[in-house]
Amino acid sequence: MSDVTLSVRGLRKVIGRRVIIKDLSFELTRGEVFGFLGPNGAGKTTTIRMLVGLIKPTAGTIRICGLDIARQFTKAMSRMGCIVENPELYPFLSGMDNLRHFAVMLRGITRERIDEVVRLVGLEERIGDKVGTYSLGMRQRLGIAQALLGKPDVLILDEPTNGLDPSGIREMRAFIRSLAEKEGLTVLVSSHLLHEIQLMCDRVAIMAKGEIIRVDTVQELLASEERMVWRLRPLPLGRLILSDLTEVLSADEVTVTTVYSERHAGEWSRRLIEAGVSVMEMNRKLPALEDLFLELTGGESID
Amino acid sequence: MINLVHNEMMKLLGKRRFLIIGIIIVVLLALFAYAQARQSEAVKERLGEVDWRTELQQQIVDWQNRLSSAGQWREQLEIQIDQYQYYLDHDVNPSEPGAPSFMRGFTENSAELFLPLLVMIVAVDLVSSERSMGTIKLLLTRPVSRSAVLLSKYIALVLSVSIVIFLFALLSYLISALMFGNKGWTAPVLTGFEVRGGELDASGVRLVSQWQYLLQQFGLAWFISLVVGTLSFMLSILMRSSAAGMGTMLACLISGAILSNMVSSWDSAKYLFMVNLGLMDYMSGSPPPIEGMTLGFSLTVLAVWMAAALAASFAVFTRKDIY
Amino acid sequence: MHSKKVRYMTAFAAVICLAWLVGFGWTVKDYLIGSGRGVSLAAPAEQPAPEGQAGKVVALGDSLTRGTGDDEGKGYAGYLADELKEEGFRASMVNLGIKGLTSAGLLEQLGQKEIARQVGQADIVLLTIGGNDLFLGGQTLSDLSAASLAKLEDAFAANLASILETIRSANPAATVYLLGLYDPFRELEDGAETSRAVRSWNARTMETISAYDDMVFVPTYDLFQRNTADYLFTDRFHPNGRGYRLMAGRLAALIAEEGGAP
Repeated sequence: MSDVTLSVRGLRKVIGRRVIIKDLSFELTRGEVFGFLGPNGAGKTTTIRMLVGLIKPTAGTIRICGLDIARQFTKAMSRMGCIVENPELYPFLSGMDNLRHFAVMLRGITRERIDEVVRLVGLEERIGDKVGTYSLGMRQRLGIAQALLGKPDVLILDEPTNGLDPSGIREMRAFIRSLAEKEGLTVLVSSHLLHEIQLMCDRVAIMAKGEIIRVDTVQELLASEERMVWRLRPLPLGRLILSDLTEVLSADEVTVTTVYSERHAGEWSRRLIEAGVSVMEMNRKLPALEDLFLELTGGESID
Repeated sequence: MINLVHNEMMKLLGKRRFLIIGIIIVVLLALFAYAQARQSEAVKERLGEVDWRTELQQQIVDWQNRLSSAGQWREQLEIQIDQYQYYLDHDVNPSEPGAPSFMRGFTENSAELFLPLLVMIVAVDLVSSERSMGTIKLLLTRPVSRSAVLLSKYIALVLSVSIVIFLFALLSYLISALMFGNKGWTAPVLTGFEVRGGELDASGVRLVSQWQYLLQQFGLAWFISLVVGTLSFMLSILMRSSAAGMGTMLACLISGAILSNMVSSWDSAKYLFMVNLGLMDYMSGSPPPIEGMTLGFSLTVLAVWMAAALAASFAVFTRKDIY
Repeated sequence: MHSKKVRYMTAFAAVICLAWLVGFGWTVKDYLIGSGRGVSLAAPAEQPAPEGQAGKVVALGDSLTRGTGDDEGKGYAGYLADELKEEGFRASMVNLGIKGLTSAGLLEQLGQKEIARQVGQADIVLLTIGGNDLFLGGQTLSDLSAASLAKLEDAFAANLASILETIRSANPAATVYLLGLYDPFRELEDGAETSRAVRSWNARTMETISAYDDMVFVPTYDLFQRNTADYLFTDRFHPNGRGYRLMAGRLAALIAEEGGAP
């Protein structure tokens, strides 16, 4: 079996006369966390719904582990787990009954497997309670448990950290990484938050207006766009020195912003200090998603 | 498949739908039984302690006196009088006191509107609730084909209809046995009256035991409820909200009840499903809403509607995009 | 995988489903294909009159018996029942009056088995008949000639004799009270003539009934003779509540007096 677990080719969705998704193609490999990044309305959700078989594509093929979901739906689906948008489960059933409900829809899920995923997401204590009494984080975890029941090769998570508190978000990130690294799952994560994707994913696809405008590793994608913010005293001298060394992108009364370069940052600060400028603060700043989009789409607005 | 059906039953039980239905039935039954008890008290008040023949004779005469002012109901009243006279002439009590007779009357009155309504409580959100809860996204991304998911839901519906009718039968038996006593299961019931050209035709009349009549009634009530359930099921797929589906179905049922009373001159209305729900009338021998309708005709019309609704349900559900 | 409760419920539902299916199939078989058994109605056995302590009053006749015109819908029969109850008689009142009934119609009604049985069980039979024979459709009013009246009277007398005969043969013991006619039109233009017709009609009725034992003619002519309008319903033909009470009062007095009370 090849390492490609999810392959999308020429995916297209037309509703009426509007083209919602324009010819997407990408491939995901085993053990990879792949990010789907884009503002709301970029077509992320529609794409994900096509991947999991909720929406029929107008054209194109989707293969999970080589199985075409249009032709071999049930076989393909047994290799995939997903949470689309919120982890909506039956609030009037207990967590255990919810898992049983989805377990019987897969083949050969044993009691032990259910207990195993419950342990995996750390819900042992509350699994007998009604889901209606769960916090959002617990529901999210139950959703993951449900997605993992059938030991899928591909896990698709739509905005998995939505609505979680900071510690929940951290936990979720670590959990997703460990699934990919330890279990070798392919995880596809969508988000509209750049730093989220940056911390979790190996590769990122950036979507806007139904198109993937760029697919790259996180480092590559961000390298050209990171900034360095300097707080210097005296400021005018510092600015002068920096502009000799590199390009000053902007400056105000307190700070100077330059491009970021891991290689040169140390040297630049040394040169500043040698010149008698005290460096109060050096701050590496991630580009805002909006900036990235402006850059990638050549100044076109993202809405 | 059996596991999928179990799933659906688990959800229905989880939602406590049958409990709600049971409570509704009990409340309505209590009202109905009380009304019945009051009525027989009133008759006693008026006539004194009398046997059923006297009571029936009085009823017939009372109706005869209403004939002249009955207007459009005249024909129906005449047929009813003829029927009661037939009972009287053949010395058969049309309502032997006891639980079975009460159940018979209650079922006859409930089959067209009340029972279908109860079934709607289950049917109308079988699919649309999954959509409004969002769980449909999980349900349809499992390695189970959409038609299998829908079929399991439909089987669960058929089972639910059966349970609703059973609850109805059981509760009406318990309450009426408490109030009227548990006797009269083998009492004879006359059936097979037919209405031809506005006249009662008693040539096909035969005698059946009350328990048999009841079982047949429940069979028909089950079928009526199943038809309404299937149509609600379809609406639950076609419409996003349960409320809209419920409203539409309710409008259909009520318009059916109204139409049945006034469409006698609009002949093609007999192909509408809601005009055909009065299957019980064929058993008791009341005139059908439109001249020429028979049990076979109504069953066929209902079956066709049901098959069409099922076909539409499957066609839409297996193709529909879920947003 | 599933809890036992769910599995039992499903299995149970399947069993019930089967039961209803059987019921449905049976219905289809019986009503569409036809039941194997033919009509098997045994000839009804004669029903003996129930031995009750309470007496039974059976009221027969036309709209007067029915109580047309009375706001409370009781008619003289209803008020009579009330009065008898007040005086401590326990009686059941069966009102078999039918609006618009003529003597011929009554004769036909008496032919019905159950009606005959009711009469047979009665201790007292109340009867109003003849009004529709005389005033039928208001035609008589325009033709009050002696010849046409005599024809009507003859026909009525013959029917009445048969009616009384039938009642007597159904019930040899009951006392029969036949209420006479009053003249609702006496205050109209032709009042004098209609009054004469009614008096003659009553005389003929009285004569006919006198041939039978325990049959009492109860006049009502005098009750409505004065202030007729006060005792009539808005249709100027049927009595109103007050009129019916007068009739009931007279009957109650007779029944209580004779001690033939139930």
